[in-house]
Amino acid sequence: MRFATSAPARGGSTRRPLGRTIGHVGLALTVAFAGLALGAGYWQVLRSPDMSREPDNPLVIAAARNVVRGQIVDRNGKVLASNKRDANGEPYRVYTDRTFSTVIGYASRQYGTAGLERSWNSQLTGASNGNPIGDALRKFQRNPYDPQKLTLGISSALQQAAVKGLGSDRGAVVMIDPQTGEILALASTPIYDSSAIANPATQDQGFAAARDNKAQPLLTRATQGLYVPGSVFKIVTDVAGLGSGQITPSTTFPQQAQAEKDGLVVSGFRIHEHPGVPSETFDLTTATEWSSNIWYALAGLRTGGDNLASFAARMGFGKPLDFDLPTASSQVTNPGGTGPGGFSDLVELANASYGQAETLVTPLQMALVACTVANQGILMKPHLVIATTGRDGTHKVDPAELGRVIGPDTASAIAAAMQAAVESSIGSQFTTGAKVPGVTTAGKSGTAQLGGTGAPHSWFIGFAPVDHPRIAIAVIVEKGGRGGARAAPLAGDLMSLFFKQAGS
Amino acid sequence: MTAATASLPAIFGGIRPRARWRETKLLAVVAATILVGSVSLELTRQVAVPGEATGLHPANPLHLAIYLGLLLVAHVVLILSGRRMDQILFPTVAMLGGISLLLMERLPRNLVVQSVGPWKLGLGDVQLAWLILSFVLATGLAVTVRSDRWLRLYKYTWAAAGVALLLATFVLGDEVNGQRLSLTLGPISGQPSELLKVILVVFLAGYLSENRPLLVEESTRVGPISLPPLPFLAPMVAMWAIALGIVVVQRDLGAALLFFTVFLALLYAATGRPGYVVMGVLLFLVGAFVMYQLVPTVRVRVDIWLDPFKDRTGTGYQVIQSLYAFARGGLLGTGLGAGLPTVNGVLPIPAVHTDFPLAALGEELGLVGIMAILGLFLVVIERGLRIAASAADDFRAILAAGLALVIGTQAFIIAAGNLKLIPLTGITLPFISYGGSSLLVNGIIVGLLLALSDRGVEPPPPPRRPGRLARLTGLGRPAAAHPGPAAARSGPSVPVPPRTPSGAAELAEPGGGDGG
Repeated sequence: MRFATSAPARGGSTRRPLGRTIGHVGLALTVAFAGLALGAGYWQVLRSPDMSREPDNPLVIAAARNVVRGQIVDRNGKVLASNKRDANGEPYRVYTDRTFSTVIGYASRQYGTAGLERSWNSQLTGASNGNPIGDALRKFQRNPYDPQKLTLGISSALQQAAVKGLGSDRGAVVMIDPQTGEILALASTPIYDSSAIANPATQDQGFAAARDNKAQPLLTRATQGLYVPGSVFKIVTDVAGLGSGQITPSTTFPQQAQAEKDGLVVSGFRIHEHPGVPSETFDLTTATEWSSNIWYALAGLRTGGDNLASFAARMGFGKPLDFDLPTASSQVTNPGGTGPGGFSDLVELANASYGQAETLVTPLQMALVACTVANQGILMKPHLVIATTGRDGTHKVDPAELGRVIGPDTASAIAAAMQAAVESSIGSQFTTGAKVPGVTTAGKSGTAQLGGTGAPHSWFIGFAPVDHPRIAIAVIVEKGGRGGARAAPLAGDLMSLFFKQAGS
Repeated sequence: MTAATASLPAIFGGIRPRARWRETKLLAVVAATILVGSVSLELTRQVAVPGEATGLHPANPLHLAIYLGLLLVAHVVLILSGRRMDQILFPTVAMLGGISLLLMERLPRNLVVQSVGPWKLGLGDVQLAWLILSFVLATGLAVTVRSDRWLRLYKYTWAAAGVALLLATFVLGDEVNGQRLSLTLGPISGQPSELLKVILVVFLAGYLSENRPLLVEESTRVGPISLPPLPFLAPMVAMWAIALGIVVVQRDLGAALLFFTVFLALLYAATGRPGYVVMGVLLFLVGAFVMYQLVPTVRVRVDIWLDPFKDRTGTGYQVIQSLYAFARGGLLGTGLGAGLPTVNGVLPIPAVHTDFPLAALGEELGLVGIMAILGLFLVVIERGLRIAASAADDFRAILAAGLALVIGTQAFIIAAGNLKLIPLTGITLPFISYGGSSLLVNGIIVGLLLALSDRGVEPPPPPRRPGRLARLTGLGRPAAAHPGPAAARSGPSVPVPPRTPSGAAELAEPGGGDGG
């Protein structure tokens, strides 16, 4: 301090002071910190919901051990999943109805979660009730967990009948209310014992039994099974052809009658009809009654690959469906094709138009096709959970439209053809037993050829009553033979049961 | 002195207190905030659902009292010193320290266990002890440092000490997890790289202020491109080599990144030449690429950063858990004590108290809390840079800017690592992370910044001859042509009046430096 030389004595510099460059440095740091704030916002707000549901998130782990999960009940309040406590007082899950195992899945301390227990985990444990404001305010409550009870749209009686109807065969049944998208049955066989996996005393044997079963019960066939559709895919061709205006209900093809006998030549390949179809000129209704491959091949060629692919996409093809359970992505053709709509050539398009070639579908997807026609062209979002009940009461899951696929007149025309396929004397030969007594019924059977010598998959999709449908259905029985052999009668029985229960 | 309006009456002879009302008010806010936090933590503990092992234990009210008492004592000492020092910096740091104390009280006590004599100290106890020492150091330096000669005149000595410290760590350091970070001398063990930060800044302040004219004005032309004078690239290359050495030998990515960033920022601040920054960034990219190829630690860190989910139970585990913690917090957080830094006695983030305190705070205080903490760091940076911009000469300006940058850059590097914006590097979050070396060195930084903010300190000595390097290379102009650095600082609004030779503590220019 004794050094007090006055500063101006050393003045006269031409150099700029450092304030400006220091300001630049400060600005750079401020921008960097703004980046941190954005990063924090990304993880804490944008990604918060999905990160908080990850199975290895301590929130989920803590909840799994400590929280008594919400119950799961069917549409009539019948309890499907509840809880017991082990010797240490820690809760574990008990499932009362095995036919729901492929839907509800399991929640196990050792093996994690599957099915609805997985996809609705945060609501079942009460870590989140899906309402951002409620979630933010939850922390002010004494117990931050608010486990939600889930009410499913499924009717236990239909679910049990569907599983029983599939019997020892592998297969799937999907029943949907086409006006709301509520799932009334979602059966996949074989089923498994999910209680055994959830119970700490039997979890290891229970899980090993399900995992090692060659029939793969842990695969939910209704949503994850990919099958060749065969003739039920013809309804997709109808939707695309009529929806795009390329064909009409009265469209006929001059070469079709002859081709029924000799086969239809497309780019040098000859497409043959299945046996028993007469050499006549068909329109939409007669082609659907007879399930004519030739007429549909011609209709598909006229519709074009672009239209076929884009109308299929409107009904959910091409990507996993937005659904309560994981779904496989249905396809009209393999990815990577260069022709219109992704088809590799016209031969593939012609074969795809009647459900062969590279088309692969999930039973749920085919049920949605039936729903689209049934609901006058408007596709409703399919959903399993119809209500959640927590501390603050019950919240209904409202029906949501996925969009209009085709106009109401177009839908009615297809519905009429499908009604003929079930109720006319010709059509009913292929759809034996699908008719609901006393209720107008529409449908289409399918016999999916798998190549080789094995029996084909037996398919049926349909709905009833025709003018104001209340139920839509898709049934597949793996290697069940012709569509009329297994799938159609089972669908008829299940729809009859539905109307008996609902009181028609 | 007579001029000082805020001056309180002199108590015995030498002591002339000066009121620091702004600091008083801010500290009151800090105390209230920490009290509220503490009450909230205790309430959460009392209502916590039984059987839900969140690992909460009763917080020690004595700790809180001691901390608040510490702030009061430090405040009174600053008042008694009578210096016109910044009044915002200390409360800001006190707030960060308070947040740290709350967090360490809340985390499991047994994360850190140290026996001192008959006592067994847990995490909260030890952190409180370090906070006390850190603030004692800060206040002590703020009050006593009235000259910068000891820093200014011996820069090469400091540099040599720094290099010696680095070499000692290279050779003698304790190796933990493949990293050689800490040095044990008898009973004392510490992380020299923490102290090295300050030494680096002191050296750079001396070097850059002395050679500034040359660095600014000379150019080497290579064809159409005008480059900085080539001989002055030597320090950049040297700094680069040291940073790479730290990576290769110590595996300390964080320190290397911090040193190089601070160096580049100061070089730019001193010269205003973006060319240096561009070259520095190019060197960094080359170095980073080579290190990625050669050093497994670097490769692992970068790969985790690119996709932590590839090995979610292995190398990526801790980063994923950090992101989960942020996500659990959401907008408002779970509330203090209601988060999940432990689940059934297991820590999802083992290094939560050292490397990931921000993740724990993000969970319990939410995005709002994170914004507030980032804001506090920005205030520290702003105060430091403001002190720098109004410093009396280049040396002090670069010194103050460098000290502020060390804190700001370090906070950025670890926060960005926690948020997966950059690869994670194991450095501390200043004032919040658990760790003695870090807290002590940050205390030193705050103390120096406070001292530098008092424009009544002894004015800079007359300029010395140009830097040795400049003399050797002949690039410099004769010493006489060197303008005094101090005048350059006299911006339009801050004329520097002559000083009276006595009572330097009272010397202050109008408008100068009491933190307003």
